[in-house]
Amino acid sequence: MRWKRGARNQLLLELLLIAWALIVLVPFYMILINAFKDTGEAGKFGLGLPSEWMWENFSAVFRKGNILRGYANSLLIAGCTLVLASLSAAMAAFCIQRNNHRFTNFIYYVFVLGLVIPVALIPTIKLMMNLHIHNTYPGMILFYSAVLLPFSVFLITGFLKTVTRELDDSAIIDGCGPIRMFAYVILPLLQPVMVTACLFIVMSVWNDFMGPFYLLSDSSKWTVTVSVFSYVNQFGTNWNLVFADILIVITPVLVFYFFLQEHIVEGMTAGAVKG
Amino acid sequence: MKTFSRYPLYFIVPAFLLYAVLFIYPTAAGFYYSFTDWSSYSKEINFIGMENFSRLFTEGVMQTAIRNTLIFAVAVTVLVNVVGLTLALMLNERTLLGSFYRTAFFIPVVIASIIVGYIFMAILNPEYGILNKTLRAIGLDALAMNWLPDTRTALWSIIGTEVWKSAGFAMIIYLSGLKTIPRDLIEQAMVDGAHYLTRFRHIVFPLLAPAFTVNFLLTVIGSLKVFEIVFVLTGGGPGYATEVINTFVYRNFAKGMWGYATSASIMLTLIVSVVAVSLLIVLRKREIEL
Repeated sequence: MRWKRGARNQLLLELLLIAWALIVLVPFYMILINAFKDTGEAGKFGLGLPSEWMWENFSAVFRKGNILRGYANSLLIAGCTLVLASLSAAMAAFCIQRNNHRFTNFIYYVFVLGLVIPVALIPTIKLMMNLHIHNTYPGMILFYSAVLLPFSVFLITGFLKTVTRELDDSAIIDGCGPIRMFAYVILPLLQPVMVTACLFIVMSVWNDFMGPFYLLSDSSKWTVTVSVFSYVNQFGTNWNLVFADILIVITPVLVFYFFLQEHIVEGMTAGAVKG
Repeated sequence: MKTFSRYPLYFIVPAFLLYAVLFIYPTAAGFYYSFTDWSSYSKEINFIGMENFSRLFTEGVMQTAIRNTLIFAVAVTVLVNVVGLTLALMLNERTLLGSFYRTAFFIPVVIASIIVGYIFMAILNPEYGILNKTLRAIGLDALAMNWLPDTRTALWSIIGTEVWKSAGFAMIIYLSGLKTIPRDLIEQAMVDGAHYLTRFRHIVFPLLAPAFTVNFLLTVIGSLKVFEIVFVLTGGGPGYATEVINTFVYRNFAKGMWGYATSASIMLTLIVSVVAVSLLIVLRKREIEL
Protein backbone atom coordinates (compact mmCIF):
# COMPACT_ATOMS: atom_id res chain seq x y z
CA MET A 1 0.00 0.00 0.00
CA ARG A 2 2.75 2.48 0.95
CA TRP A 3 4.61 1.83 -2.26
CA LYS A 4 1.46 2.35 -4.28
CA ARG A 5 0.82 5.75 -2.77
CA GLY A 6 4.43 6.73 -3.41
CA ALA A 7 4.13 5.76 -7.06
CA ARG A 8 0.90 7.71 -7.44
CA ASN A 9 2.49 10.82 -5.97
CA GLN A 10 5.48 10.40 -8.25
CA LEU A 11 3.18 10.19 -11.27
CA LEU A 12 1.25 13.28 -10.18
CA LEU A 13 4.54 15.13 -9.70
CA GLU A 14 5.76 14.28 -13.20
CA LEU A 15 2.41 15.20 -14.72
CA LEU A 16 2.39 18.60 -13.05
CA LEU A 17 5.96 19.28 -14.16
CA ILE A 18 5.21 18.24 -17.72
CA ALA A 19 2.11 20.45 -17.68
CA TRP A 20 4.14 23.52 -16.72
CA ALA A 21 6.85 22.58 -19.23
CA LEU A 22 4.17 22.53 -21.93
CA ILE A 23 2.78 25.88 -20.79
CA VAL A 24 6.26 27.34 -21.10
CA LEU A 25 7.40 25.62 -24.30
CA VAL A 26 4.29 25.42 -26.51
CA PRO A 27 4.26 29.20 -27.12
CA PHE A 28 7.79 28.94 -28.52
CA TYR A 29 6.77 26.06 -30.73
CA MET A 30 3.81 28.15 -31.89
CA ILE A 31 6.16 30.98 -32.92
CA LEU A 32 8.51 28.59 -34.68
CA ILE A 33 5.92 26.76 -36.73
CA ASN A 34 3.81 29.79 -37.62
CA ALA A 35 6.84 31.78 -38.76
CA PHE A 36 6.92 29.46 -41.79
CA LYS A 37 3.25 29.87 -42.80
CA ASP A 38 1.56 32.40 -45.05
CA THR A 39 -0.26 35.35 -43.50
CA GLY A 40 -3.73 33.79 -43.48
CA GLU A 41 -2.62 30.48 -42.04
CA ALA A 42 -0.37 32.07 -39.40
CA GLY A 43 -3.27 34.25 -38.24
CA LYS A 44 -5.04 31.07 -37.09
CA PHE A 45 -2.10 30.19 -34.80
CA GLY A 46 -2.48 26.47 -35.56
CA LEU A 47 0.11 24.07 -34.21
CA GLY A 48 0.13 21.88 -37.32
CA LEU A 49 2.84 21.97 -39.95
CA PRO A 50 2.58 24.72 -42.59
CA SER A 51 0.83 23.67 -45.82
CA GLU A 52 3.69 25.36 -47.60
CA TRP A 53 7.03 26.26 -45.98
CA MET A 54 7.50 30.00 -46.53
CA TRP A 55 11.22 30.52 -46.12
CA GLU A 56 10.84 33.90 -47.79
CA ASN A 57 9.22 35.23 -44.58
CA PHE A 58 12.70 35.43 -43.14
CA SER A 59 14.24 37.24 -46.07
CA ALA A 60 11.30 39.67 -46.01
CA VAL A 61 11.95 40.39 -42.34
CA PHE A 62 15.68 40.78 -42.95
CA ARG A 63 15.00 43.28 -45.73
CA LYS A 64 12.45 45.42 -43.90
CA GLY A 65 13.04 44.78 -40.21
CA ASN A 66 16.37 46.56 -39.69
CA ILE A 67 17.61 43.32 -38.15
CA LEU A 68 21.30 43.68 -38.95
CA ARG A 69 21.28 47.31 -37.97
CA GLY A 70 19.54 46.37 -34.71
CA TYR A 71 22.09 43.65 -34.00
CA ALA A 72 24.98 46.02 -34.67
CA ASN A 73 23.41 48.60 -32.32
CA SER A 74 22.80 46.01 -29.59
CA LEU A 75 26.34 44.66 -29.83
CA LEU A 76 27.92 48.10 -29.83
CA ILE A 77 25.88 49.47 -26.93
CA ALA A 78 25.98 46.28 -24.85
CA GLY A 79 29.72 45.78 -25.49
CA CYS A 80 30.78 49.28 -24.51
CA THR A 81 28.43 49.35 -21.50
CA LEU A 82 29.89 46.04 -20.39
CA VAL A 83 33.46 47.35 -20.32
CA LEU A 84 32.61 50.72 -18.80
CA ALA A 85 30.16 49.50 -16.16
CA SER A 86 32.00 46.38 -15.03
CA LEU A 87 35.42 48.03 -14.72
CA SER A 88 34.23 51.16 -12.96
CA ALA A 89 32.02 49.03 -10.69
CA ALA A 90 34.94 46.74 -9.80
CA MET A 91 37.13 49.73 -8.94
CA ALA A 92 34.42 51.32 -6.81
CA ALA A 93 33.60 48.04 -5.08
CA PHE A 94 37.29 47.49 -4.33
CA CYS A 95 37.58 50.90 -2.70
CA ILE A 96 34.29 50.54 -0.81
CA GLN A 97 34.88 47.06 0.55
CA ARG A 98 38.56 47.43 1.44
CA ASN A 99 38.26 50.78 3.17
CA ASN A 100 35.07 49.85 5.00
CA HIS A 101 35.00 53.44 6.24
CA ARG A 102 31.94 55.49 7.17
CA PHE A 103 32.29 57.59 4.05
CA THR A 104 32.72 54.70 1.60
CA ASN A 105 29.86 52.80 3.23
CA PHE A 106 27.67 55.85 2.73
CA ILE A 107 28.58 55.84 -0.98
CA TYR A 108 27.70 52.16 -1.06
CA TYR A 109 24.22 52.83 0.30
CA VAL A 110 23.72 55.58 -2.26
CA PHE A 111 24.49 53.01 -4.96
CA VAL A 112 22.14 50.44 -3.38
CA LEU A 113 19.33 52.99 -3.48
CA GLY A 114 19.55 52.76 -7.27
CA LEU A 115 18.45 49.11 -7.09
CA VAL A 116 15.01 50.20 -5.92
CA ILE A 117 14.28 53.63 -7.37
CA PRO A 118 12.78 53.72 -10.89
CA VAL A 119 14.94 55.37 -13.55
CA ALA A 120 13.88 58.99 -14.23
CA LEU A 121 13.70 58.74 -18.01
CA ILE A 122 12.00 62.01 -18.93
CA PRO A 123 14.47 64.25 -17.05
CA THR A 124 17.28 62.16 -18.56
CA ILE A 125 16.20 63.27 -22.05
CA LYS A 126 16.66 66.90 -21.09
CA LEU A 127 19.98 66.18 -19.41
CA MET A 128 21.23 64.38 -22.52
CA MET A 129 20.18 67.27 -24.71
CA ASN A 130 22.06 69.70 -22.50
CA LEU A 131 25.15 67.49 -22.59
CA HIS A 132 24.79 67.08 -26.39
CA ILE A 133 24.69 63.29 -26.08
CA HIS A 134 20.99 62.88 -26.90
CA ASN A 135 20.38 60.40 -29.75
CA THR A 136 24.00 59.26 -29.71
CA TYR A 137 25.63 55.93 -28.94
CA PRO A 138 27.87 57.40 -26.21
CA GLY A 139 24.73 58.81 -24.59
CA MET A 140 23.07 55.39 -24.45
CA ILE A 141 26.27 53.71 -23.23
CA LEU A 142 26.72 56.23 -20.41
CA PHE A 143 23.02 55.93 -19.50
CA TYR A 144 23.07 52.13 -19.30
CA SER A 145 26.33 52.14 -17.37
CA ALA A 146 24.86 54.48 -14.78
CA VAL A 147 21.65 52.46 -14.48
CA LEU A 148 23.44 49.10 -14.18
CA LEU A 149 26.15 50.29 -11.78
CA PRO A 150 24.13 49.79 -8.57
CA PHE A 151 23.66 46.08 -9.21
CA SER A 152 27.25 45.59 -10.38
CA VAL A 153 28.72 47.42 -7.39
CA PHE A 154 26.43 45.49 -5.04
CA LEU A 155 27.42 42.15 -6.56
CA ILE A 156 31.17 42.75 -6.69
CA THR A 157 31.33 44.24 -3.19
CA GLY A 158 29.65 41.11 -1.86
CA PHE A 159 32.19 38.92 -3.63
CA LEU A 160 35.19 40.95 -2.46
CA LYS A 161 34.35 40.10 1.14
CA THR A 162 35.45 36.55 0.32
CA VAL A 163 38.77 37.65 -1.24
CA THR A 164 41.51 37.58 1.38
CA ARG A 165 43.48 40.73 2.19
CA GLU A 166 46.73 38.81 2.63
CA LEU A 167 47.39 39.11 -1.08
CA ASP A 168 46.98 42.89 -0.82
CA ASP A 169 49.66 42.93 1.86
CA SER A 170 52.14 40.89 -0.13
CA ALA A 171 51.49 43.05 -3.18
CA ILE A 172 52.33 46.14 -1.15
CA ILE A 173 55.48 44.52 0.23
CA ASP A 174 56.48 43.72 -3.34
CA GLY A 175 56.19 47.43 -4.08
CA CYS A 176 52.86 47.56 -5.92
CA GLY A 177 50.99 50.86 -5.95
CA PRO A 178 47.18 50.78 -5.59
CA ILE A 179 46.58 50.76 -9.33
CA ARG A 180 48.94 47.88 -10.05
CA MET A 181 47.61 45.97 -7.06
CA PHE A 182 44.09 46.34 -8.44
CA ALA A 183 45.02 45.44 -12.01
CA TYR A 184 47.38 42.52 -11.35
CA VAL A 185 46.23 41.07 -8.04
CA ILE A 186 42.57 41.91 -7.42
CA LEU A 187 41.07 41.92 -10.91
CA PRO A 188 42.22 38.37 -11.79
CA LEU A 189 40.75 37.13 -8.51
CA LEU A 190 37.44 38.78 -9.36
CA GLN A 191 37.04 36.77 -12.55
CA PRO A 192 34.03 34.63 -11.48
CA VAL A 193 31.99 37.57 -10.27
CA MET A 194 33.02 39.66 -13.27
CA VAL A 195 31.59 36.98 -15.58
CA THR A 196 28.34 37.06 -13.60
CA ALA A 197 28.17 40.87 -13.64
CA CYS A 198 29.00 41.04 -17.35
CA LEU A 199 26.26 38.58 -18.29
CA PHE A 200 23.80 40.52 -16.19
CA ILE A 201 24.80 43.73 -17.96
CA VAL A 202 24.56 42.23 -21.46
CA MET A 203 21.17 40.62 -20.79
CA SER A 204 19.81 43.84 -19.30
CA VAL A 205 20.88 45.99 -22.24
CA TRP A 206 19.77 43.39 -24.77
CA ASN A 207 16.26 43.03 -23.35
CA ASP A 208 15.65 46.64 -22.38
CA PHE A 209 12.85 48.49 -24.12
CA MET A 210 12.12 51.66 -22.17
CA GLY A 211 15.64 53.11 -22.49
CA PRO A 212 15.81 53.35 -26.30
CA PHE A 213 12.06 53.97 -26.51
CA TYR A 214 12.26 57.15 -24.42
CA LEU A 215 15.81 58.26 -25.05
CA LEU A 216 16.38 57.56 -28.75
CA SER A 217 14.05 59.39 -31.10
CA ASP A 218 16.41 58.33 -33.89
CA SER A 219 15.16 54.81 -34.61
CA SER A 220 18.25 53.90 -36.65
CA LYS A 221 20.07 53.53 -33.31
CA TRP A 222 17.44 51.23 -31.75
CA THR A 223 18.60 47.90 -30.38
CA VAL A 224 17.36 44.66 -31.91
CA THR A 225 14.72 44.06 -29.23
CA VAL A 226 13.18 47.47 -29.86
CA SER A 227 13.25 46.79 -33.61
CA VAL A 228 10.49 44.20 -33.05
CA PHE A 229 8.29 47.00 -31.76
CA SER A 230 9.01 49.25 -34.73
CA TYR A 231 8.47 46.34 -37.10
CA VAL A 232 5.00 45.61 -35.70
CA ASN A 233 4.25 49.33 -35.71
CA GLN A 234 5.10 49.67 -39.39
CA PHE A 235 3.82 46.44 -40.87
CA GLY A 236 0.96 45.62 -38.54
CA THR A 237 0.24 42.18 -37.22
CA ASN A 238 1.02 39.94 -40.16
CA TRP A 239 1.70 37.21 -37.69
CA ASN A 240 3.91 35.08 -39.92
CA LEU A 241 6.31 38.00 -40.33
CA VAL A 242 6.05 39.10 -36.71
CA PHE A 243 6.85 35.55 -35.59
CA ALA A 244 9.75 35.31 -38.04
CA ASP A 245 11.05 38.61 -36.68
CA ILE A 246 10.67 37.44 -33.06
CA LEU A 247 12.39 34.17 -33.95
CA ILE A 248 15.36 35.98 -35.46
CA VAL A 249 15.63 38.18 -32.40
CA ILE A 250 15.27 35.52 -29.68
CA THR A 251 17.24 32.66 -31.25
CA PRO A 252 20.66 34.08 -30.35
CA VAL A 253 19.44 34.79 -26.81
CA LEU A 254 18.23 31.20 -26.48
CA VAL A 255 21.44 29.71 -27.93
CA PHE A 256 23.45 31.93 -25.62
CA TYR A 257 21.27 30.77 -22.72
CA PHE A 258 21.64 27.06 -23.49
CA PHE A 259 25.43 27.28 -23.70
CA LEU A 260 26.02 29.57 -20.74
CA GLN A 261 23.02 28.49 -18.72
CA GLU A 262 24.70 28.18 -15.32
CA HIS A 263 26.38 31.56 -15.67
CA ILE A 264 23.27 33.31 -16.94
CA VAL A 265 21.03 31.94 -14.21
CA GLU A 266 23.74 32.97 -11.76
CA GLY A 267 23.98 36.42 -13.35
CA MET A 268 20.29 37.09 -13.15
CA THR A 269 19.71 35.74 -9.66
CA ALA A 270 23.10 36.02 -7.89
CA GLY A 271 22.47 39.38 -6.29
CA ALA A 272 19.23 38.07 -4.91
CA VAL A 273 20.69 34.93 -3.41
CA LYS A 274 23.73 36.55 -1.86
CA GLY A 275 22.03 39.77 -0.80
CA MET B 1 44.27 61.62 5.00
CA LYS B 2 46.06 58.48 6.11
CA THR B 3 42.81 56.49 6.18
CA PHE B 4 42.49 56.10 2.42
CA SER B 5 46.17 55.86 1.50
CA ARG B 6 46.14 52.13 0.85
CA TYR B 7 42.94 52.08 -1.13
CA PRO B 8 42.67 55.61 -2.49
CA LEU B 9 39.30 57.22 -3.04
CA TYR B 10 39.91 58.01 -6.69
CA PHE B 11 38.91 54.40 -7.41
CA ILE B 12 35.31 55.37 -6.66
CA VAL B 13 35.37 58.46 -8.84
CA PRO B 14 34.56 57.03 -12.34
CA ALA B 15 31.60 54.97 -11.10
CA PHE B 16 30.25 57.62 -8.79
CA LEU B 17 30.61 60.38 -11.34
CA LEU B 18 28.65 58.35 -13.91
CA TYR B 19 26.01 57.42 -11.37
CA ALA B 20 25.70 60.94 -9.98
CA VAL B 21 25.36 62.63 -13.36
CA LEU B 22 23.14 60.11 -15.16
CA PHE B 23 21.12 58.62 -12.33
CA ILE B 24 21.03 60.81 -9.22
CA TYR B 25 20.82 64.11 -11.08
CA PRO B 26 17.86 63.11 -13.33
CA THR B 27 16.04 61.70 -10.31
CA ALA B 28 16.55 64.92 -8.36
CA ALA B 29 15.68 67.01 -11.43
CA GLY B 30 12.49 64.95 -11.74
CA PHE B 31 11.37 66.18 -8.33
CA TYR B 32 11.90 69.75 -9.52
CA TYR B 33 10.19 69.27 -12.91
CA SER B 34 7.16 67.73 -11.22
CA PHE B 35 6.42 71.19 -9.79
CA THR B 36 6.70 72.91 -13.20
CA ASP B 37 4.66 73.33 -16.39
CA TRP B 38 7.49 71.88 -18.53
CA SER B 39 5.94 70.87 -21.87
CA SER B 40 6.48 70.73 -25.60
CA TYR B 41 4.18 73.73 -26.04
CA SER B 42 6.41 76.35 -24.51
CA LYS B 43 10.12 77.07 -24.29
CA GLU B 44 9.81 78.33 -20.75
CA ILE B 45 9.64 76.16 -17.68
CA ASN B 46 7.66 77.81 -14.89
CA PHE B 47 7.29 76.76 -11.29
CA ILE B 48 3.61 76.06 -10.63
CA GLY B 49 3.70 74.57 -7.14
CA MET B 50 1.41 71.64 -6.43
CA GLU B 51 -0.75 72.15 -9.52
CA ASN B 52 0.39 68.94 -11.29
CA PHE B 53 -0.28 66.85 -8.22
CA SER B 54 -3.71 68.31 -7.56
CA ARG B 55 -4.54 67.69 -11.22
CA LEU B 56 -3.30 64.09 -10.92
CA PHE B 57 -5.81 63.44 -8.19
CA THR B 58 -8.76 65.34 -9.60
CA GLU B 59 -8.64 63.97 -13.15
CA GLY B 60 -9.33 60.45 -11.94
CA VAL B 61 -7.20 58.52 -14.43
CA MET B 62 -4.23 58.52 -12.07
CA GLN B 63 -6.36 56.99 -9.32
CA THR B 64 -7.34 54.21 -11.71
CA ALA B 65 -3.69 53.79 -12.70
CA ILE B 66 -2.55 53.55 -9.07
CA ARG B 67 -5.33 51.10 -8.24
CA ASN B 68 -4.51 48.90 -11.26
CA THR B 69 -0.79 49.03 -10.49
CA LEU B 70 -1.41 47.90 -6.93
CA ILE B 71 -3.81 45.11 -7.97
CA PHE B 72 -1.26 43.99 -10.55
CA ALA B 73 1.61 44.07 -8.05
CA VAL B 74 -0.26 42.17 -5.33
CA ALA B 75 -1.68 39.53 -7.69
CA VAL B 76 1.62 39.01 -9.52
CA THR B 77 3.59 38.80 -6.28
CA VAL B 78 1.24 36.22 -4.77
CA LEU B 79 0.97 34.12 -7.93
CA VAL B 80 4.65 34.26 -8.89
CA ASN B 81 5.63 33.16 -5.41
CA VAL B 82 3.02 30.39 -5.22
CA VAL B 83 3.92 29.01 -8.66
CA GLY B 84 7.67 29.54 -8.16
CA LEU B 85 7.68 27.85 -4.77
CA THR B 86 5.55 24.95 -6.02
CA LEU B 87 7.88 24.40 -8.96
CA ALA B 88 10.93 24.59 -6.70
CA LEU B 89 9.47 22.08 -4.23
CA MET B 90 8.66 19.70 -7.08
CA LEU B 91 12.11 20.03 -8.62
CA ASN B 92 13.69 19.41 -5.24
CA GLU B 93 12.28 15.88 -5.39
CA ARG B 94 13.71 13.17 -7.63
CA THR B 95 12.12 13.53 -11.07
CA LEU B 96 12.58 11.90 -14.44
CA LEU B 97 13.81 14.99 -16.29
CA GLY B 98 15.10 17.16 -13.43
CA SER B 99 17.56 19.48 -15.16
CA PHE B 100 15.46 19.63 -18.34
CA TYR B 101 12.57 21.10 -16.35
CA ARG B 102 14.86 23.59 -14.66
CA THR B 103 16.29 24.74 -17.99
CA ALA B 104 12.85 25.00 -19.59
CA PHE B 105 11.18 26.88 -16.73
CA PHE B 106 13.80 29.63 -16.76
CA ILE B 107 13.54 30.35 -20.51
CA PRO B 108 10.79 33.01 -20.25
CA VAL B 109 12.99 34.96 -17.82
CA VAL B 110 15.64 35.57 -20.49
CA ILE B 111 13.13 36.75 -23.11
CA ALA B 112 12.50 40.51 -23.33
CA SER B 113 9.16 41.64 -21.84
CA ILE B 114 8.18 43.39 -25.06
CA ILE B 115 8.51 40.11 -26.96
CA VAL B 116 6.60 38.21 -24.29
CA GLY B 117 3.88 40.80 -24.83
CA TYR B 118 3.62 40.03 -28.54
CA ILE B 119 3.66 36.28 -27.89
CA PHE B 120 0.71 36.60 -25.52
CA MET B 121 -1.14 38.88 -27.89
CA ALA B 122 -1.26 35.84 -30.17
CA ILE B 123 -2.00 33.35 -27.40
CA LEU B 124 -4.87 35.41 -26.00
CA ASN B 125 -6.56 35.96 -29.38
CA PRO B 126 -10.23 35.20 -28.57
CA GLU B 127 -10.98 33.37 -31.79
CA TYR B 128 -7.83 31.47 -32.75
CA GLY B 129 -5.43 31.89 -29.80
CA ILE B 130 -4.07 28.66 -28.34
CA LEU B 131 -5.45 29.47 -24.90
CA ASN B 132 -9.08 29.49 -25.99
CA LYS B 133 -8.51 26.63 -28.43
CA THR B 134 -7.15 24.52 -25.59
CA LEU B 135 -10.02 25.47 -23.29
CA ARG B 136 -12.58 24.53 -25.95
CA ALA B 137 -10.77 21.28 -26.71
CA ILE B 138 -11.00 20.13 -23.10
CA GLY B 139 -14.65 21.15 -22.83
CA LEU B 140 -14.17 24.33 -20.81
CA ASP B 141 -15.91 26.53 -23.38
CA ALA B 142 -17.35 28.66 -20.59
CA LEU B 143 -13.84 29.75 -19.61
CA ALA B 144 -12.91 30.83 -23.14
CA MET B 145 -13.14 34.58 -22.63
CA ASN B 146 -12.47 37.56 -24.85
CA TRP B 147 -9.48 38.28 -22.57
CA LEU B 148 -7.82 41.53 -23.67
CA PRO B 149 -10.75 43.48 -25.19
CA ASP B 150 -12.96 42.71 -22.19
CA THR B 151 -12.63 45.15 -19.28
CA ARG B 152 -13.36 42.37 -16.78
CA THR B 153 -10.57 40.04 -17.91
CA ALA B 154 -7.96 42.39 -19.44
CA LEU B 155 -5.97 43.11 -16.29
CA TRP B 156 -6.02 39.44 -15.27
CA SER B 157 -4.75 38.42 -18.71
CA ILE B 158 -1.79 40.74 -18.21
CA ILE B 159 -1.22 39.38 -14.71
CA GLY B 160 -1.19 35.84 -16.14
CA THR B 161 1.35 36.88 -18.78
CA GLU B 162 3.66 38.33 -16.14
CA VAL B 163 3.38 35.18 -14.00
CA TRP B 164 4.30 33.06 -17.02
CA LYS B 165 7.40 35.19 -17.52
CA SER B 166 8.58 35.54 -13.92
CA ALA B 167 7.71 32.29 -12.12
CA GLY B 168 10.99 30.68 -13.25
CA PHE B 169 12.99 33.43 -11.59
CA ALA B 170 11.32 32.90 -8.21
CA MET B 171 11.73 29.15 -8.69
CA ILE B 172 15.52 29.43 -9.00
CA ILE B 173 15.79 31.52 -5.84
CA TYR B 174 13.58 29.11 -3.88
CA LEU B 175 15.59 26.17 -5.23
CA SER B 176 18.84 27.65 -3.98
CA GLY B 177 17.12 28.29 -0.65
CA LEU B 178 15.97 24.67 -0.49
CA LYS B 179 19.52 23.47 -1.17
CA THR B 180 20.68 25.12 2.06
CA ILE B 181 18.28 23.06 4.20
CA PRO B 182 20.23 20.17 5.76
CA ARG B 183 18.93 16.78 4.62
CA ASP B 184 19.29 15.21 8.09
CA LEU B 185 16.82 17.73 9.44
CA ILE B 186 14.17 16.50 7.01
CA GLU B 187 15.12 12.86 7.56
CA GLN B 188 14.95 13.26 11.32
CA ALA B 189 11.45 14.70 10.97
CA MET B 190 10.46 11.78 8.73
CA VAL B 191 11.72 9.34 11.33
CA ASP B 192 9.59 11.17 13.87
CA GLY B 193 6.66 10.51 11.55
CA ALA B 194 6.05 14.09 10.38
CA HIS B 195 3.78 14.27 7.36
CA TYR B 196 4.91 16.20 4.23
CA LEU B 197 2.71 19.18 5.05
CA THR B 198 3.85 19.22 8.67
CA ARG B 199 7.49 19.13 7.57
CA PHE B 200 6.82 21.93 5.13
CA ARG B 201 5.03 24.06 7.70
CA HIS B 202 7.54 23.64 10.52
CA ILE B 203 10.91 23.07 8.85
CA VAL B 204 11.05 23.96 5.17
CA PHE B 205 9.00 27.13 5.15
CA PRO B 206 10.71 28.84 8.11
CA LEU B 207 14.15 28.02 6.68
CA LEU B 208 13.12 29.48 3.34
CA ALA B 209 12.49 32.85 4.96
CA PRO B 210 15.50 34.61 3.35
CA ALA B 211 14.55 33.34 -0.14
CA PHE B 212 10.99 34.39 0.56
CA THR B 213 12.07 37.91 1.54
CA VAL B 214 14.15 38.33 -1.61
CA ASN B 215 11.48 36.97 -3.94
CA PHE B 216 8.76 39.02 -2.35
CA LEU B 217 10.74 42.25 -2.53
CA LEU B 218 11.99 41.74 -6.08
CA THR B 219 8.56 40.81 -7.44
CA VAL B 220 6.82 43.70 -5.71
CA ILE B 221 9.38 46.27 -6.86
CA GLY B 222 9.53 44.85 -10.39
CA SER B 223 5.78 44.62 -10.83
CA LEU B 224 5.09 48.14 -9.57
CA LYS B 225 7.33 49.33 -12.42
CA VAL B 226 5.48 47.26 -15.07
CA PHE B 227 5.30 48.87 -18.50
CA GLU B 228 6.19 46.85 -21.61
CA ILE B 229 3.67 44.01 -21.23
CA VAL B 230 0.76 46.39 -20.59
CA PHE B 231 1.93 48.76 -23.32
CA VAL B 232 2.03 46.01 -25.94
CA LEU B 233 -1.05 44.02 -24.91
CA THR B 234 -3.58 46.77 -24.22
CA GLY B 235 -1.84 50.16 -24.12
CA GLY B 236 -3.79 50.73 -20.89
CA GLY B 237 -7.19 49.98 -22.42
CA PRO B 238 -9.93 49.06 -23.02
CA GLY B 239 -10.80 52.52 -21.71
CA TYR B 240 -8.48 52.79 -18.73
CA ALA B 241 -9.18 49.25 -17.50
CA THR B 242 -5.50 48.27 -17.50
CA GLU B 243 -3.90 51.70 -17.16
CA VAL B 244 -0.88 51.45 -14.83
CA ILE B 245 1.33 54.28 -13.60
CA ASN B 246 3.99 53.78 -16.26
CA THR B 247 1.49 53.73 -19.15
CA PHE B 248 -0.07 56.89 -17.68
CA VAL B 249 3.38 58.48 -17.62
CA TYR B 250 3.98 57.49 -21.22
CA ARG B 251 0.56 58.68 -22.38
CA ASN B 252 1.20 62.16 -21.01
CA PHE B 253 4.82 62.17 -22.13
CA ALA B 254 3.68 61.42 -25.68
CA LYS B 255 1.20 64.33 -25.47
CA GLY B 256 4.16 66.59 -24.69
CA MET B 257 3.09 67.25 -21.08
CA TRP B 258 6.49 66.50 -19.63
CA GLY B 259 6.14 68.18 -16.27
CA TYR B 260 2.81 66.49 -15.64
CA ALA B 261 4.17 63.09 -16.76
CA THR B 262 7.16 63.58 -14.46
CA SER B 263 4.90 64.27 -11.50
CA ALA B 264 3.17 60.94 -12.15
CA SER B 265 6.50 59.12 -12.28
CA ILE B 266 7.51 60.83 -9.02
CA MET B 267 4.38 59.25 -7.51
CA LEU B 268 5.67 55.87 -8.69
CA THR B 269 9.07 56.55 -7.14
CA LEU B 270 7.39 57.41 -3.84
CA ILE B 271 5.13 54.35 -3.92
CA VAL B 272 8.01 52.00 -4.76
CA SER B 273 10.22 53.47 -2.03
CA VAL B 274 7.55 53.35 0.67
CA VAL B 275 6.47 49.81 -0.25
CA ALA B 276 10.06 48.53 -0.49
CA VAL B 277 11.17 50.00 2.83
CA SER B 278 8.10 48.88 4.78
CA LEU B 279 8.20 45.39 3.26
CA LEU B 280 11.89 45.07 4.07
CA ILE B 281 11.24 46.00 7.71
CA VAL B 282 8.29 43.61 8.04
CA LEU B 283 9.96 40.67 6.27
CA ARG B 284 13.29 41.03 8.11
CA LYS B 285 11.43 41.04 11.41
CA ARG B 286 9.53 37.95 10.35
CA GLU B 287 12.78 36.20 9.35
CA ILE B 288 14.13 36.69 12.86
CA GLU B 289 10.92 35.58 14.55
CA LEU B 290 10.68 32.35 12.57
